[in-house]
Amino acid sequence: MLRLPRFRHETPASLEEAAALLSEHKGRARLLAGGTDLLPNLKHGIEEADVVVSLGRVPELNRVRETEGGDLELGAMLSLEALASDALVRKRYPALSVAAGLVAGPHHRRMGTLGGNVCLNTRCVYINQTHFWREALGYCLKKDGEACHVVKGGKRCVAAASNDTAPVLTTLGASLRLRSQSRGVRVLPIADFYVQDGVYNKALEPDELLESVLIPMPQPGLHSAYKKLRPRDSIDFPRLSVAVAFRLESDVVRDLRVVISALAARPLMLKKVGDLSEGRPLNDDLLDELGSAAFKQCHPLTNVDGDTTYRRDMVPVYVKRALRAARDSGLSMP
Amino acid sequence: MRILHFQLNGDDAEVAAPDHWTLLEVVRYRAGLTGSKQGCDKGDCGACTVHVDGRSVLSCLTLAADIDGRQVTTIEGLSNVDGLDVVQDCFDGAGALQCGFCQPGMMMAARQLVTENPEATREEIKEALASNLCRCTGYTKIYQAVEEACRRQRQCTTERAGGAP
Amino acid sequence: MNERKSINRTHGPDAPFGEFSRVGKRARKVDSMAVATGQAMYTDDIQLPRMLHGKFLRSPHAHARIRSIDTSRAEALPGVHAVVTGSELPVAYGVIPWTEDETALAVDKVRFVGDEVAAVAAIDEDTASAAVRLIDVDYEVLEPYFDPQDALVHHEPAIHEGNRKGNISKHVLLEFGGVDEAMAASEVLIEDDYAFHGTAHAPIEPHCAIARWSGDGVLTLWSSTQIPHYVHRLLASVLGLPAHRIRVIQPYLGGAFGGKSDPFSHEFCVALLAKKAGRPVKMLLTREETFYTHRGRHPMQMHFRTGCDAKGRITAVDSKILIDGGSYSSFGLVTTYYSGQLLCGPSDFPNYRFDSTRVFTNKPPCGPKRGHGSVQPRFALEIQLDRMATQLGLDPIEFRRINCQSENTQTVNGQTVTSNGFLQCLDAVEEASGWKKKRGKLPPNRGIGIAGSMYISGTNYCVYPNDMPQAGILVKLDRSGLATVFTGTSDIGQGCTSVMATLVAEELGLRLDQVRVVTSDSDLCPVDLGAYSSRITLMAGNAAVDAGRKLRKQVQEAVAEKLEIAPGQVMLADGFAFDREDGDRRFTTQEAFQFAEAKFETLSASGSYNTPERGGDYRGGTIGASPAYSFTAHVAEVEVDPETGDVHVHKLWIAHDCGRAISPVQVEGQIEGSTYMGVAEVQLEHHEVYTGETAEAGLHMRPSLLEYTLPTTLDTPELEALIVESIDPEGPYGAKEAGEGPLHGSLPAVANAIYDACGIWMTKLPFTPGKVLAALKAHQAAGSSGAPNEGAN
Repeated sequence: MLRLPRFRHETPASLEEAAALLSEHKGRARLLAGGTDLLPNLKHGIEEADVVVSLGRVPELNRVRETEGGDLELGAMLSLEALASDALVRKRYPALSVAAGLVAGPHHRRMGTLGGNVCLNTRCVYINQTHFWREALGYCLKKDGEACHVVKGGKRCVAAASNDTAPVLTTLGASLRLRSQSRGVRVLPIADFYVQDGVYNKALEPDELLESVLIPMPQPGLHSAYKKLRPRDSIDFPRLSVAVAFRLESDVVRDLRVVISALAARPLMLKKVGDLSEGRPLNDDLLDELGSAAFKQCHPLTNVDGDTTYRRDMVPVYVKRALRAARDSGLSMP
Repeated sequence: MRILHFQLNGDDAEVAAPDHWTLLEVVRYRAGLTGSKQGCDKGDCGACTVHVDGRSVLSCLTLAADIDGRQVTTIEGLSNVDGLDVVQDCFDGAGALQCGFCQPGMMMAARQLVTENPEATREEIKEALASNLCRCTGYTKIYQAVEEACRRQRQCTTERAGGAP
Repeated sequence: MNERKSINRTHGPDAPFGEFSRVGKRARKVDSMAVATGQAMYTDDIQLPRMLHGKFLRSPHAHARIRSIDTSRAEALPGVHAVVTGSELPVAYGVIPWTEDETALAVDKVRFVGDEVAAVAAIDEDTASAAVRLIDVDYEVLEPYFDPQDALVHHEPAIHEGNRKGNISKHVLLEFGGVDEAMAASEVLIEDDYAFHGTAHAPIEPHCAIARWSGDGVLTLWSSTQIPHYVHRLLASVLGLPAHRIRVIQPYLGGAFGGKSDPFSHEFCVALLAKKAGRPVKMLLTREETFYTHRGRHPMQMHFRTGCDAKGRITAVDSKILIDGGSYSSFGLVTTYYSGQLLCGPSDFPNYRFDSTRVFTNKPPCGPKRGHGSVQPRFALEIQLDRMATQLGLDPIEFRRINCQSENTQTVNGQTVTSNGFLQCLDAVEEASGWKKKRGKLPPNRGIGIAGSMYISGTNYCVYPNDMPQAGILVKLDRSGLATVFTGTSDIGQGCTSVMATLVAEELGLRLDQVRVVTSDSDLCPVDLGAYSSRITLMAGNAAVDAGRKLRKQVQEAVAEKLEIAPGQVMLADGFAFDREDGDRRFTTQEAFQFAEAKFETLSASGSYNTPERGGDYRGGTIGASPAYSFTAHVAEVEVDPETGDVHVHKLWIAHDCGRAISPVQVEGQIEGSTYMGVAEVQLEHHEVYTGETAEAGLHMRPSLLEYTLPTTLDTPELEALIVESIDPEGPYGAKEAGEGPLHGSLPAVANAIYDACGIWMTKLPFTPGKVLAALKAHQAAGSSGAPNEGAN
């Protein structure tokens, strides 16, 4: 069987302890939440660790609470299963509930966590393979090698952001509460969290951990939706994903945000598409226009399995389907 | 190497295992409970499904070190002195067992569903088993088995309720 | 080949005592309780004292010469107990004796990425893996062949140097009747290209083998194989060991589907490693490695021409097929024949030609997957039939009725068809699916399609020529009232253990709990050739009835003496032996067995089976010849999403003629499982390596169960299995196969349903949404420009 490499296992009982362990091991420690991403990556030798820090016994990380301002704070260790079935989340942010429910399969969602999904490592057909396979390839930019096999001659890794919750959280304007021992707590908008580098696509420092996700109280009339293209109706990572959120004000669109993922190292906010729709009724003409605009901005690569032309063709289809689903989903808040 | 203390199929277990061993490796190769299977190495097939604190997890993606103090149930722990668990009996009765390699995991997933939602519809059964691949059956007889198990579970609950003073 | 005796080939279709007490009943499997409770021991569940773990060094190159191998660093690693390389196991082998082109480890060349180069045994897997990486190999990299067309014309250097035919693995050209004349005279002629893409078996159990040598030099091998007998023979040959010094045991097996029907590198390597180390050795393949071991369904490029007359009678079929064999022969000789030989029913045609060529390429070797050789051309032919029907304005089911061959007939290629329940299969799926209300009448983008097929119940072609029985069995009756069946048959999940128990119980009037079955241990069980070609129910089943019947006669005689009646008046049923005229005059079967043991001697009997003479009188005429053929009809209902090209298969109705259902639950399970597997090949599954001249060329594109997408519960259509019983004169109580036939039609039925849904003929598998969308766009463009197109009816 494919075995895990040797490491030391630590089980901190508090946030402080966890942060201290990260600080102590300076980039040689890896956080373990549900294990569904980290352990396969360790088995494949894509990630390495001297110490694996399990977060399962840090009570603060399981917290779900409403702040005084009406924001919702979701602890990073909240399971995706719990997130998908949480009544308040379902009512306020149906797209997030849907996205959480579309991650992998039921067991993965039971084990996997919100924090783990937000921090999911990027994926590429050339990297998520065994050491034997990657060695036969001659390795790649993301780990152990110098060549990119997706963009021949490319110097920046284009492994794809493949987390289902990230695009939705981006459309919802979520923020992340990050903690380190030396610098304490900082709160970062999720839009600033992901960077365009497939090797490591997060602003999370090696000594930092994600404590919770903060989602602002929805504006009145907020509509949101999430659509995911994948070969099977379970288990698979997205080959394309689309999150949308907007307000309907007397039947016209306000503040549309469209985020596409599974294309590049970070979720892509299609700003032009959002701007096009401002103040217009969401009718079929506008849907077509937005779909075409999205198509122009998206250029799928071979980092993800599946025909790139097809994945591009699906951009307008999935954008329109997401917009329709959001529009027809009724008001998510009074 | 550390000594893990946990409940394994109702027994107190004390097992020595290196930190990087998975729960699957510990139950199979340390505890000798080979009912849980390894099919894919990394959480893609579900054959290794066991219960931790009553809920299904992929034991190939669970570090053994993380189950210290918890309750683990494997397929060997489903049946008891009263005989087969209702899920095992229904899988056998429906002809859902062909090669049987995926079935320990499948039955553990089904057991959780039958416990938590004995009213499960066909669609809910499919959802609950969608982390467990079966290569033999086309799933049809598995659905029939789970439906029958749900029916018997409901009947059992009703009888118990009816018999209460 | 010498003429074989036909031994005990038939016992008649009737119940031994008027009506069946076990056969045809919805019973539990006799060996499934161990599975349900987790007690069943599969190969990797076996732990032996002092057991070492083995790992392979595999080739990173698709095609290369090995200049040298240096294992000294690996041998020096603490914890390493043995290392082997190809020079220590140089004897070539192959499951087909005419094409022995494999060695346990590469001797001078590697032929695909993943080819085994060396093996290490160490105290644990981690140490073995570390040691593998310390082996230094100097390769001379050669031009690889990925495109079968390219391999056909270029062969310098050939993949198998010394092969007189360059990179051609096998070529078969056979013609029956006069195809060109008949084609020219046809009213309708359909000609098109079809493609099958290559798929894997992907049983959930990865391959595993364990070897142990006893102090006196007897080798025991436990292996997850479906052909323990062939493994036994080839272990003897490769290790240079007398066969009687080897014992092969197949433990519980976690699925195979043809993927465990070759002798494999790990089976030879564990044996030699264990010998060198003086300790037992286990090798368990990773999931990735199973994709290199492969032997999956061959990619085929198929050109088909078919003609029919104005009334819809097929006049001729003509095919030219290029088969991508991958790097070794495996069963490829048979595959090449099967790609043509197995198409000559249930639709009858008087003129037929097939021209099939299998070539080597630098990819994992292909082999037999459920429905060996014929799933691909069947896909092409059944679409051709629908296109002819469409052109003539005939209902596709009606078209198949018009062309259905009768029972007790000869096919155009000289195969003998005994029973044939295909018409009943058509009736059953037409009725159950609501065909008449649906075909051509469903809402836009929803459609329904039909396909038919046939398959063998075992083959007359014996893998190695010999005059011995193809199946043997031993039954022992015990004073306890237990019958123990000793059989070499391989239960791979298909349930043959239960079938053997059922047949013996029927003959001896036992309940199933009064029969136990000992399987697949070469020291204990008579030879059975293995689980392939859907041979076990018919062949070993006949042997089981044969043995049971011999014992039954003895029991009847002994009881008759006690009851003072004629032996023929003694009935055996449900655990009792009684007077047919007066049921109160009875003994338990335990008492009856004791009377018989007292009267005769220790009670045991052997049973044997060999096929009757079958097959056409030409070279290759016995390949595809079977004592009996099964028949299947599939109806699929699909919905095509015109925006995404996604084909949602809602449901399949499958009627399968299995002769007689010995165990109806298991027959349904085989029908459902086969069809699930076939539908998976339509859209989701694709075994493929990167090609071209990039760094990834030759690497497997999807070597995991995440990337190689087996359908989950949420991706599997509803399946309705319908059993048709034609009661074949050759099978045990009339039984034929059920494990492979019901796969074939699933693919073309979906293709034909897509046509009904939206007017496009999908011909190149897999039907990815992208391909379907492109076809829809082309169809719309052709329609709007006024170009001729067939359109949905």
